[in-house]
Amino acid sequence: MGHMVSRTPPIHQTKSSPTHRRVPSPLHPPATAAAMQMQGRLRRVLRAPPPRILLYHAISSPPNGGNGGGGGGGGGGCGSGVAVKQVTRGNMAEALEKLRGRVREAAFVGVDLEMSGVTSAPWRDTFELDRADVRYLKLRDSAERFAALQLGVCPFRWDPAKSAFVAQPHNFYIFPRKELPSDCSSHEFLCQTTSIDFLAKYQFDFNTCFREERMKMNFKEWRDVIVSKPMVDNHLSGNIKCCAGQFQTVFFKMRPAIMLNGFSSHQLKLIQQVLRKNFKDLVFVCTSGEDDTSEKKVVYSDTDEDRILLMKDVQEDLLKNREERVKSAIGIRHVIDLLSSERKLIVGHSCFLDIAQVYSKFVGPLPSSIKEFALSFHKIFPHIADTRHLMSVNQAVQKLMKHKSKSLSSAFSLLCPASYSSVEKPSSHPPVTIEVEGDETTSSCFISGAKHEAGYDAYMTGCIFAQLCAYLGIKFEQFSPLENLATNTKLHKHINFLSPSWNSGTVIDLSTGMERPEPGYMRRFPAAVYDNIIVIWGFPSKVRPKEIKDCICKVFGSGSVTTVFSIDSTAALVQFKKQESVNDFLDLKAVLERADSAISILHPLSTILEGGQTRAAKYDTYRDICSSSESKYLFADQAEAVCATSKNQLGENVDDNLISGVLDGVALASVTEGDGIISDSKNQDIADVTCHDILDALHDGKALLVRRM
Amino acid sequence: MAAPRAAVASAKQVTRQNFAEAVRELGAHLEACDYVAVAAQKTGAPTGWRRALPVDTAETAYLKAKLAAESFQPLQIAVCPFRLRSSSPSTLVAYPYNFHLFPRDELQLGMPSYSFSCQSSYLSTMANDGFDFNMCIYDGISYLSRVQESLARQKIFTPRPQQLLPSPSTSVSDSVFVNRIKSKILHWRKGYADPSKKDDGTLVSSLSRLILGGETYGSRPSMSIDVCSDRQVQLVLEAVNHISDDLVSLVVPHKAGAARSVRVIFTNSKEDKNLLLMDIQKLEDEQNFKFRGFREVIDLLSSSQKPIISYNCLNDMTMLHTKFIAPLPPNLHEFMCSLKMVFSNVVDINHLLRQIGPLRKAKNIQAALSYLQRQYFVPIEIEIPQQDGTSSVTKNEQNVLRITKLFAKLSNLLKISPECQLQSREQCTAVEEYCNIFYPSCVVEGSYDANFAIESDTTETVSTDNIIFLWGFREKSVKELKSYLIGLHQAFSEDFEVKLLDKTCSALIFRDSNTATQLLKEINSEGPSLNRFFSEGLKAAGFEVYRKVCRLGLWDSDLAEVLEDVSSELGVPTLPECSTSQIYWNSALMLDLKEYLEC
Repeated sequence: MGHMVSRTPPIHQTKSSPTHRRVPSPLHPPATAAAMQMQGRLRRVLRAPPPRILLYHAISSPPNGGNGGGGGGGGGGCGSGVAVKQVTRGNMAEALEKLRGRVREAAFVGVDLEMSGVTSAPWRDTFELDRADVRYLKLRDSAERFAALQLGVCPFRWDPAKSAFVAQPHNFYIFPRKELPSDCSSHEFLCQTTSIDFLAKYQFDFNTCFREERMKMNFKEWRDVIVSKPMVDNHLSGNIKCCAGQFQTVFFKMRPAIMLNGFSSHQLKLIQQVLRKNFKDLVFVCTSGEDDTSEKKVVYSDTDEDRILLMKDVQEDLLKNREERVKSAIGIRHVIDLLSSERKLIVGHSCFLDIAQVYSKFVGPLPSSIKEFALSFHKIFPHIADTRHLMSVNQAVQKLMKHKSKSLSSAFSLLCPASYSSVEKPSSHPPVTIEVEGDETTSSCFISGAKHEAGYDAYMTGCIFAQLCAYLGIKFEQFSPLENLATNTKLHKHINFLSPSWNSGTVIDLSTGMERPEPGYMRRFPAAVYDNIIVIWGFPSKVRPKEIKDCICKVFGSGSVTTVFSIDSTAALVQFKKQESVNDFLDLKAVLERADSAISILHPLSTILEGGQTRAAKYDTYRDICSSSESKYLFADQAEAVCATSKNQLGENVDDNLISGVLDGVALASVTEGDGIISDSKNQDIADVTCHDILDALHDGKALLVRRM
Repeated sequence: MAAPRAAVASAKQVTRQNFAEAVRELGAHLEACDYVAVAAQKTGAPTGWRRALPVDTAETAYLKAKLAAESFQPLQIAVCPFRLRSSSPSTLVAYPYNFHLFPRDELQLGMPSYSFSCQSSYLSTMANDGFDFNMCIYDGISYLSRVQESLARQKIFTPRPQQLLPSPSTSVSDSVFVNRIKSKILHWRKGYADPSKKDDGTLVSSLSRLILGGETYGSRPSMSIDVCSDRQVQLVLEAVNHISDDLVSLVVPHKAGAARSVRVIFTNSKEDKNLLLMDIQKLEDEQNFKFRGFREVIDLLSSSQKPIISYNCLNDMTMLHTKFIAPLPPNLHEFMCSLKMVFSNVVDINHLLRQIGPLRKAKNIQAALSYLQRQYFVPIEIEIPQQDGTSSVTKNEQNVLRITKLFAKLSNLLKISPECQLQSREQCTAVEEYCNIFYPSCVVEGSYDANFAIESDTTETVSTDNIIFLWGFREKSVKELKSYLIGLHQAFSEDFEVKLLDKTCSALIFRDSNTATQLLKEINSEGPSLNRFFSEGLKAAGFEVYRKVCRLGLWDSDLAEVLEDVSSELGVPTLPECSTSQIYWNSALMLDLKEYLEC
């Protein structure tokens, strides 16, 4: 360990999916704790590079260094030699103009995003069992909390002469700077340690990302370039010299001036007073300089008219400066605006989170429901294609991808034969040729794209898309450059469909906002019935999901629990077979907690109730907990925090209902019902509690309650 | 004066490449020094009303420090042991180290930190100052807190050698056990030690391994002996010791903790054994680095018992506690107790500044230093024996050296001496007298204009009863607000002060606590005399509501919003049931740990 210094790409670049964005294999075994799941994925990715890629890299040429402009030679698109244009603030304006033309010419545009993290806590991972609204809440949390660090944009233009696509990958560095003093929404963001570490493994350049600001406003340094000349006004310099040693003489608006540096605010006030009283020809000017600092100067102006002119100039400058800041605050949004206004087909891979990020960072706060989000996103980007979804609609592709990871890199190596020599021809289709076109003029901005960065990922996504189109029977040879690919009859029915998450088992239609089950999705858990689900948290951490199931089954009958799904070490979702069991369980739990008798210790449920911190609630509470803006590491802590702050104090509520319930005998009846299940199941273990035990316990508890009141 | 040069001095940069060596050096320097200065570069600081405010009590200030400590991540921690000699001129010998940290998950257990917050303004300032993020993220040292380490040790088990303890008398059953184990090991060992069998083919050797039940440890043959108690572990070790010198035994803990086995490894020569022992040692060092990492430095600081000098003590100490010791307790008292067990003496420079009249207004270290330079003559010779020779100096190194220098000057002025008890000269104070008194300052880090606050000189203590939180005024300045309020109710014609807490809420501080409580009562009962007050959309609440907001940790929105939420939840006017506490109005507040420890 400990040799990450080498900045050269590792030889066996494992181009598996970045775990912080996409989950590679649907085949990996269910991990108990979400955190472990994350780790597991990461390790799997790093431990097992696809052997074919290793081979490919061994036989292909070494990575093409910086200046790989002018196309990746012949078949183009091979991995490590792709020139990706790096766009930071310095070359933003220029790059934007060129990009506009290229997007306009393009048949489609590949897009990808790198973020500072995905989940703010392990339990915020999306689970297969999650209801659509909960899944959206988790997604929203992620999109709002984390920052986008890179935006990859790669226009693909069809060149009929070459009979090939020409790709121009761009990599935009984004940094959520606080540009405008009034804008306080975007100045704090979260970093997920594993994601940052993951990016680091791929030599992500954090310095470029954070230091980007340096490239800003270079043209403004002219002020400092105009250097000193002997001071015109001698007595002023003598006057102030006594309180500050040295100062810089500069010209401001063609007038001699001195910079006031290193004075305290009190001293500055004094200086202003002195100037006003004694020097009619000196003006105190405060302008905003670089980095939000204000520059104070004393400017010499000889006549009154000149002074008025000067003040006007300063005012205008201030205004211009403010406009500039607004413009630069818009920053990367220009790229989004550009993509949106060209109304081209945008292609992403498993990109629902990406588009949520884009919406949240560049459009506005995410709407409260997934439907609203889909519809308003659709208005801005009318044509989105998701390559992950497209892979599932074609039989031939599905056969090819069978038992393979559907991650970006794995799909790329399987589907894009150009990058792969002709060792294995996956199908009868002639592969679509793709060339990479660089911009020769400024080769310094190009860095080989094998770095697992947004620009390169956008390129890979586009390549996959082009091949998938060929599988769908789209003949690019007959394709005129002006035709809109999005309206192509063969493609049209797959456009604007994407999966809200890798394990949702559904696809959402962005144009209608409706979600429908994804055909061919293999579920690992039986379908969830949300009315039958309770969430339990705060039980002793040594209790395993199996034990939860066993102890509940002892009370409610052996088949009463369909699934126990572990959220993390402190919480689980329990799905009952029957809906009544939900209330029965909550009531019984409350009774057992109120009753101090021995039976509550001997009761089977004491396994999970031990410690007295165990809480249980219906599924809607789980949703409320997920919707909270808090993010504690453990679910139990999160739930407690949410319950403590929410007005209706969830835990208390249950108990209060119960007191009245018990007194009315309602709880009694319901538990007897639960008892009925036991006798139904005819599974009277020795350990099982008999109906009398429970009744006794209830009576004890009731008596105790009455006594207490 | 050597002052301007010292700021350029650089510290020893420590990443995971040179960590082990640096820790060794640091340990030696700590031994030889009197004090340690500590400074940290974090990814952000709380903004808005989440900063410590003049209205905060010690308790709410702690809760805010806790929030900051838990959300932001230290990326560099500078540690500077130094020695002061009061010869004339007094000499300061400092050994600054700058440790680069990154909370990498070395053990794949989701520790030390799942995620952390960053403030973009902080990151850009750092970037402009030349902070190397790549170095930090690629080569930063990871760590686990003490609590995290013990959690990790429960999940990851590494076989390790164990010392053979002098055994008590052996019982009959013990000797039976020992004999059995002995014969088992002897039999197994014979298979390898017997030179006649050396030339066996691979098939034979693998067969014999199968029969003898052996495994391999690396390339060496080994066997496992199951044990069911610590006593048996000792017996096995004893047996192994008796048999031969060429056996090395490792104790393998089992997942459940209780049941374990002993692994016996065969080495074929003395050199081979030494090689194996070295390998094992190396493996253990690597493991320890993964389990402790940078925390080793904290443990060193703790065990050295040297007074720790820091500038923003409450913030820095809560950070050190949550990252390297244990999660922060829910209240100040418990925190103080816990901290005291780790660092017995912590000196807040802010507290020392307050001992010298005019310096109490210094907003930051820089300001205090420049004031001292102008107004006092405190010659100090600074010596920094080890230097990296790098040209760029990070803010963090600068800070720790500034703290060191400032402390040197202050201790000269205040006649604080480390060897006070030994020599008992007159007019000298033990550093312990200044220890463990914290001032949570409201200063924004990173602003280095040498300003002095233009505030009144007096520090007055105000009871929390005198404070009313007011919101619902639309964007008014303090002056506008005050004149606007006067017309609304007679209470406002009395003497009161207004302070904006964030852009939505302000605090009114009344001279007379009766006026405040009376007014609050009227507001809560929505008396008719306040019709205009309400029709203007104004809302108000007492300190209890604010306390509750802080205690619940509702940090996410504007102060007005949360006060509104919580006060509507409390519904009925709650008279302060809690004991009223005091705030130090017009100054940063002071927390005396001793007070908290004695109650």
